[in-house]
Amino acid sequence: MAFRKIFTQHIQKKTCHTMAFYKQHGGYEQAKAALSKRKKPDTLIDLVKASNLRGRGGAGFPTGVKWGFVPKTTDKPKYLVVNADESEPGTFKDRLIMEKNPHLLLEGILICCKAVGIETAYIYIRGEFVFATERLQKAIDEAYDAGFLGNNALGSGQRIDVTVHRGAGAYICGEETGMLTSLEGDRGNPKLKPPFPAIEGVFGCPTVVNNVETLANLPYILEIGADAYRAIGPENSPGPKLFCVSGHVENPGTFELPMGVPLRTLIDKHAGGVWKGRKLKAVIPGGSSAHVLTADECDVAMDIESLAAAGTMLGSAGVIVMDETTCMVDAMLNVMRFYHHESCGQCTPCREGTGWLAKITHRIAHGEGRMEDLDLIQDVCDRMVGKTICALADAAAFPAESIVKKFKSDFESAIQNGGSPAWKKRHPSVVGGAASHA
Amino acid sequence: MAVTLSFSPSTMKQYEWLLTRYPTRRAALLPTLRLAESEFGEIGVPEMRYVADLMEIPPAFVFGVVTFYTHYRRAGTGKYHIQVCSTLSCALRGSEDVVTRITERLGIVPGETTDCGLFSLSKVECLGSCDTAPMLQMNDDYHEDLSIDDVDQLIEQLRESAKGGSN
Amino acid sequence: MPDIKTPTTRWTLNGQEVENTSGMTILEAASEHGVEIPCFCYHPGLSIAGNCRICMVESNRSPKPVISCSERIADGLEIETESEVAVDARNSVMEFQLINHPLDCPVCDKSGECVLQDHSYSHGPDRSRFIEDKNIRHTKELGPTISIWGNRCIVCTRCTRFCDEISGTSELCIVERGDRSVVDVFPGIPIDNQLAGNTVDICPVGALISHDFKFEARVWNMERKDSICGGCSRGCNIEVETLDGFVKRLMPRENQDVNDWWMCDEGRYGWRHLYSDDRVLEARGPSGPLDSSRSITAFIEILDNSPRVAFLIDPFLTCEELHLVHALAASSSDSLVGGWLPEQGAAAEFPAGFKISADKHPNRNGAEQVFGHQVFGEDASHLQRALDDGSIETIVAFCGGPDPDGPGQEWSAALVKASTRILFSVLEGNWLDGAALVFPATAPLEKEGTWVSEDDRLQRTRSCWKPGETPFPGELVLLQSLQSALGTRSRSLSAAGIFRELSEVCAPFAGHNHSDIGSSGLLLSDRPAGVGAGGGA
Repeated sequence: MAFRKIFTQHIQKKTCHTMAFYKQHGGYEQAKAALSKRKKPDTLIDLVKASNLRGRGGAGFPTGVKWGFVPKTTDKPKYLVVNADESEPGTFKDRLIMEKNPHLLLEGILICCKAVGIETAYIYIRGEFVFATERLQKAIDEAYDAGFLGNNALGSGQRIDVTVHRGAGAYICGEETGMLTSLEGDRGNPKLKPPFPAIEGVFGCPTVVNNVETLANLPYILEIGADAYRAIGPENSPGPKLFCVSGHVENPGTFELPMGVPLRTLIDKHAGGVWKGRKLKAVIPGGSSAHVLTADECDVAMDIESLAAAGTMLGSAGVIVMDETTCMVDAMLNVMRFYHHESCGQCTPCREGTGWLAKITHRIAHGEGRMEDLDLIQDVCDRMVGKTICALADAAAFPAESIVKKFKSDFESAIQNGGSPAWKKRHPSVVGGAASHA
Repeated sequence: MAVTLSFSPSTMKQYEWLLTRYPTRRAALLPTLRLAESEFGEIGVPEMRYVADLMEIPPAFVFGVVTFYTHYRRAGTGKYHIQVCSTLSCALRGSEDVVTRITERLGIVPGETTDCGLFSLSKVECLGSCDTAPMLQMNDDYHEDLSIDDVDQLIEQLRESAKGGSN
Repeated sequence: MPDIKTPTTRWTLNGQEVENTSGMTILEAASEHGVEIPCFCYHPGLSIAGNCRICMVESNRSPKPVISCSERIADGLEIETESEVAVDARNSVMEFQLINHPLDCPVCDKSGECVLQDHSYSHGPDRSRFIEDKNIRHTKELGPTISIWGNRCIVCTRCTRFCDEISGTSELCIVERGDRSVVDVFPGIPIDNQLAGNTVDICPVGALISHDFKFEARVWNMERKDSICGGCSRGCNIEVETLDGFVKRLMPRENQDVNDWWMCDEGRYGWRHLYSDDRVLEARGPSGPLDSSRSITAFIEILDNSPRVAFLIDPFLTCEELHLVHALAASSSDSLVGGWLPEQGAAAEFPAGFKISADKHPNRNGAEQVFGHQVFGEDASHLQRALDDGSIETIVAFCGGPDPDGPGQEWSAALVKASTRILFSVLEGNWLDGAALVFPATAPLEKEGTWVSEDDRLQRTRSCWKPGETPFPGELVLLQSLQSALGTRSRSLSAAGIFRELSEVCAPFAGHNHSDIGSSGLLLSDRPAGVGAGGGA
């Protein structure tokens, strides 16, 4: 079967975001079928389990299994929280869906709500996405006007309400439970687990947290069935996927391809290759939290298992490409500064560790590094990983330890030659002596 | 002298609608702060106090929340808040040059506001538009695929519209 | 042995199979077996935050170390607190805690009782690998009694949780995020609640500093004594800390039946009058100071020449002192006893159940138990009427409270109608004018004996310091000397001895003694075995 794009097929069309356009192209048919009274919620969960759909937010957890954790009978209301925070550096795919194809997301939400028995959904969108928020709100208004949302969603007799909830600038709110705390009106500190959100999530009630792209897969799964869906890409992490390519490529952008596309193909064919005819140096394949790959390690398929086997992760599929001129000390400083800025500060290892890594890297980049700093960085990373409430500490440590290990010579050079090339370029007088030393 | 803040009737209506969307009052805090931001122009001490009193939430709690997030317009921000994305993908494609250019043109470094109160400059973390790097957010709007010329033009344009606005 | 009805959980702690009540956290359960797991953010009186991570232990149920303050024991769970994984985890957290923490222990008030300092000795590295500049955070006043030294803050959120959950006042918050996070208040709204001082106690480091104690003492130089707060009739358990015999600080002492881990600021800071320049420190007559024996002779002379004596007691006197007054009154015919009750204050009850009583005296209940009737009610009215109609010529009045007006205006006006007045007072004041004899009175923290709280809890208050360059004989000693001189007492006893006498003659106290009361007190209604219900039923 030829690969069919489901997210980006029509995005060149001016009115692609409207309900009229969406319906014209078969939109909401799957939700109507799913919400019909004859359809049992369990068959929907089973279908999604059978499809092997895995979360597109970063962790890659099987979506159907996650839904299955939510208690069937409970006195409490259940909630769906759509993760539209998209804050992982290098990732910009959900924004595309929300701006160009918002009804696809809404249809996915309707299907999920039916499957899990949810009446209230929130779309937690990062505060910076003002335009996407407007588009989304417009789509929701259209859906309410058409009776697709509300007290009798799609005539099903089920109430389904959707509210857009804007964040206010915090990477940590993309973390599942940080998002829930933030939605409750608090500082976005992640919650202790257990209890897990499926049992006790937002407002102390059972909660499903799904990524935008994950939900946007649902109408297609219902349309073609689990078997056909599983046939797209590798069986264990199948489906159409949005890959984001940024950094030093000729043609950065979002590319919809089957899961498992070779990384080289993604960069060279779809993103136009490394820019300015330069050679490839490094790739971060799954958002800045992933372990970095050297050019030699880039013959790998872009799917969950293959990248895990390569010692990194698909994550949010945010591919950041770095060419041969990149100083990896500067790249690491940038990434470490990010995590230092974004740590919520609640757990000690993350609050202190991210700052420490940023300071050491800053010192090396600025010509005050010591050789023993390289071991120190590894050790600080070891001490951060697996010791915190959420994965932000890991997300900072993974790139740090892999960049230092795989690009050691860049660090040694910065230590021996009075700083990173970029820093020396900006401060020629300060490093004059040190530079002539080299 | 303390000015008594108050939501306009239409904002108050929006606020009341917000309360109907959540099972707890506190959950409406972030969106209510957005209402305050657009009604009063910024979120400073009086605005936080107003929202706290309105929502019957301890002011200290509101203070903790507001300072946790970076995207509320803090008191003293210029009319045009230029936020240059400085995270990796943008940095790889020249965001530092964009910042340098703005600094040259406006005479302020990141974290500062021009004396005239027109411009504030910030370096911010990933804005989720890495394919159009380098890019910046000016107030609510994204300006993408920036060249140095684009930066110059944007500043000119903003200066012009500020003049237009004051006449 | 665990109670048969309580479900128990069998689990393994450091290789030993152990049993605990089901539902306990690993940290609580391990503690029952003598394994103390370090903690910063955990406090038994507060909700679980789980943020400091120092209590991580190795679990057979998790690939990563787990935090023992929040994980609960389960059948078959195996926990190692001293394995390489657990020790590494703890050492990691210690190193992270210390990198930005200033090395200012020599000038930090918390030094010596600092949880971070203690753990640093046991788990921390002996040198720092951190050569960067340390973070700077604000140092400022958060309220009239408390300041934050931000650089020391480890963001454990104990103080903010206290204000949210215990005092319910929510003045504190964490501002900013990451390693810029620090405790703050909303601009213009200081922390000024009645329980604020507790936040300083529970701060595991020296971030919250009490203005009252700042630079006052090194904690290891102080002596400590368990006592009871005399600030109201709740009877909060406290620890009194003294340096060179001078009180420096009062701290709450845990008692789950009374005050949990807390005390109010009124009690905590309400001891400065002990050092007032206006203390009455020696006995005196109209013509000047009297030494001990002359003052007793003068006292007896007055009693001998008085046809009728009235005793005006106050609710600060201990049960032992009251027993002596009772005995003295009983020995002279036609005497009257009444109690004056200074003005009531404000009562308060807090979300977590902590209470402050409107009755700002520690022993009204005890006095009524000793005298067996409404000594502050009807008896007081009789006494006041007798003073008003001039049928009393001699009065002995006690005032152990901090009020320089003594029994207050109304009583003072009545008192002067007695032509001969023997007055015991803590502070100088107008009400002492024209007295035949003035004796120094002891204040709370100076008395040795027992009080009975409003909840019928009998507790021991301890003498923690002695006022005056040459200590004066307190009421307990003086009243016994008086009885000896009168021939009604054969030997002088300690407070414990007097209590024994009291327990023999006064039903509510029957069967109890000072050592039974212990440090946490007992309920008067809990009769020890073998003592009949005769007195109470």
